[in-house]
Amino acid sequence: MIAVKCVARNAYFLMLCRRGMIIAAAIAAPSIAAAQITGPLPIASEEATPLGALSPMPLPMPASRDQSYWGLRLQVGQRNERKGPEDLFAVAAGVDYQLRGGSIFGLTGGYQTRQNCQSSTDCGHALFGARGRFNVFTGGPTVAAIVGDESATTTLGTEIGFGYAPRVQPGVNACTLDVGVPFSVAMLQTVRVVGFVTPGAVWNIDCSSENTPGNRSFLIGFGFGLQQVGFRGLDVNFGAQRILRGATGLQFGVSVSWVRLP
Amino acid sequence: MIGSHPKQHRTFRRALLIARGGLVAALIVGGFGCHHRLKLDELPADQIETTLFLIGDAGEPDPRQVGAPLDSLTALASVAPERTIIVFLGDNVYPAGIPAEGAAEWADARRRLDAQIKAIPPGVRGIFIPGNHDWANETAFGLYSIRLQEQMIASLAQGKNVRLIPGNGCPGPVPVDVGRMRLIALDTQWWLHSYIVRDSSSQCPASTMATVTAALRSDVNPPGDGRVVLVVAHHPLMTGGAHGGYCGVTGPYRRFGASSQDILSGANRTMRDSIRSAFTGHAPIAFVAGHDHTLQVLRGGPTVKYILVSGAGSPGKTECAVRMRESYYVTQHRAGFMRVDIMKGKGVLLRVYRYPATKSGALAYARWLELR
Repeated sequence: MIAVKCVARNAYFLMLCRRGMIIAAAIAAPSIAAAQITGPLPIASEEATPLGALSPMPLPMPASRDQSYWGLRLQVGQRNERKGPEDLFAVAAGVDYQLRGGSIFGLTGGYQTRQNCQSSTDCGHALFGARGRFNVFTGGPTVAAIVGDESATTTLGTEIGFGYAPRVQPGVNACTLDVGVPFSVAMLQTVRVVGFVTPGAVWNIDCSSENTPGNRSFLIGFGFGLQQVGFRGLDVNFGAQRILRGATGLQFGVSVSWVRLP
Repeated sequence: MIGSHPKQHRTFRRALLIARGGLVAALIVGGFGCHHRLKLDELPADQIETTLFLIGDAGEPDPRQVGAPLDSLTALASVAPERTIIVFLGDNVYPAGIPAEGAAEWADARRRLDAQIKAIPPGVRGIFIPGNHDWANETAFGLYSIRLQEQMIASLAQGKNVRLIPGNGCPGPVPVDVGRMRLIALDTQWWLHSYIVRDSSSQCPASTMATVTAALRSDVNPPGDGRVVLVVAHHPLMTGGAHGGYCGVTGPYRRFGASSQDILSGANRTMRDSIRSAFTGHAPIAFVAGHDHTLQVLRGGPTVKYILVSGAGSPGKTECAVRMRESYYVTQHRAGFMRVDIMKGKGVLLRVYRYPATKSGALAYARWLELR
C-alpha cells in the first residue's frame, strides 16, 4: 500500500494538496475497487475492444456540405509494456460514413492476438466497434496565427463509441462504452500534416455470462498524420495511446483511411 | 521501459518498422500530387489569349488611400489591357448597396464603387456582378438598389468599358464570348431574395427559376471546339468558409438559423442544385464566386471541374476558411484576388495573389486548370 501525505508551507497550499488528492482518489477509485474484487484481469476490457486495441485517429477532415462520403479504414495496433505476460497485436478494418462534411459514423471489425501466447487455445479474439464523432468546432485563425500557417485548421469534437470483444477469456466477453473530446490541428498546403490528441473516458460494461466488474478508466491518445497522401481521399495516421490505469502499457499503431470522392 | 525485454524489443522494432514503412510510402505516394507544378517564367506572354482577374467583395475599400489588393490589381491588369478583363464578383458596395440619392449614405456608397472603377486601367474591360449586399443587403429596396448601381457604374465609367451584368435586376445568364473563352454571368441573389425581384420594367429574357436553369444549360455548351466556359456569380457552390458552415462554434448549426446566404439553407441548396443540374453533361471549367471573404481553390466534382472562391477584395473584411477534402488551396485572413490566363489553343492557368505579400511575393498558388 502507498501512503501519501500532504506537507505544505501554508494553509492554502495544504488545502490545494488535499483537494488534489481527493480528486485523484475519486478518479482512481473504480479501478482500485475492481482490482480488489477480482484481481487484475489478464486482458482488460479496455484493451480488448477497438478503442484500446487499435490506434487513435484524428477527427475527419472537413468536406463539402453538399456531399456525404463513404470511406474505408485499416488499423493496426500493438500494445506493449503490459504487466501481463503477453503483448497484444490487433488488426481491423472499418467502414465510415461522413455526413455532410462533418460528423462521421463508423463500424469496425477485427482480430486481436496475444503474442507469445502459451495457451494452445484462446490466444486471440474478434473485436467489434461502433463509433460516432461529431465536429463541434472547425475553424482556424487563432491556431493559424500561433503556428504561422494561414491554412491551419483546428477541429474540436466529441465522440462516443461502443466496443465488443467476445471470449476475451473463457466465459468472459468485453464490452466498453467510451466518450471523448478529440482535438486536432492540421496545417501546410502541399503535404497536409495533422497533429491530434484524443482524451476520453471508458466504461467497462458487464456483458458476460459470468459476473465481471464494471469500472471506469481515463485514457489519452495522441499522434500525427498525413492527409491527402497522393490521392485526395487517402490519409495515413500514426498514433499512441495510454489507458490511465496500471498494467495496460502503451499502445501504438498505424491507420490508413480512404474516402471515396465523386 | 519499452524494449527492456528481448520479446518487447522485437515487437517494438517491428512496430517501428511498420510505422516507418508507412511514412516512407506515404511520402512517395504524396509526390504524385505535384503534377500540376509549373514554371511560370517559361510562360510566353504572346501565347496568352485572354487574362481574367477575379476579385470579389471589394466594396469596402479604405477611405483614405488605395492599397492592396486594388492597387496591385491595377498594376497587373495594366500590362496587357487589350486582352484583360476584371470581374468584380459582387458585394461591390457595403453595407447595403446604393441608396436612393439624397440619403446620407449615398456619397459613401458612390465612393466605394468609384474606388473599384478607378482600379480598372484604361483599355481594360470591367464587369461587375451583383451580390447580396448590392441588393440593399437583402431588403425590399434591393431591386431598385441594383438598378441604381447599374446606373452609377455607367456614369462613373467615363468612357471605360465597364458595366454591371446581369443588368436591370435580371437573373441572367448573360454570356460573354472573348476568343475561345465564354464567361457566363449570373445574379445568384435573385434566387435568394425574399422581396420583389421583378416589376413591369424588368423584361428579363429568363424570369423564372426553370427558364434561368434552361438558359444556363444552353449557354454552358457553346458552339466550337476548345471552348473554355467559366461561370461567374456571387454565391459559391461550395466553400470552407463561414457561409459553408465552418468557422466558429456556431458554424455547423447555422442551418437552424435558416439564412439563405448560407450553404446549409434550403433556398441556397435549391439554387445550387438547379445550377449544377444545368451543368450536367457540359461541365464548365470553373464556377467562380465570392461571398466568403477568403481565397479558395476547390475540386468541383462531376458537374464543374473547379470551384473558385475569390471574395477577399476588402482587406478589412477577410475571414476564416478551413481546408476541406475538396480543397486544392485555401488561405484565410488575407486579401487578394485570382488571375486566369486562357492560352491560345490549349491551356488555362490559374494564379492566386494574396496580400500582404510574403518574402517570395504575392503569388501564392498556381495551377493549370486545363493542361497545356
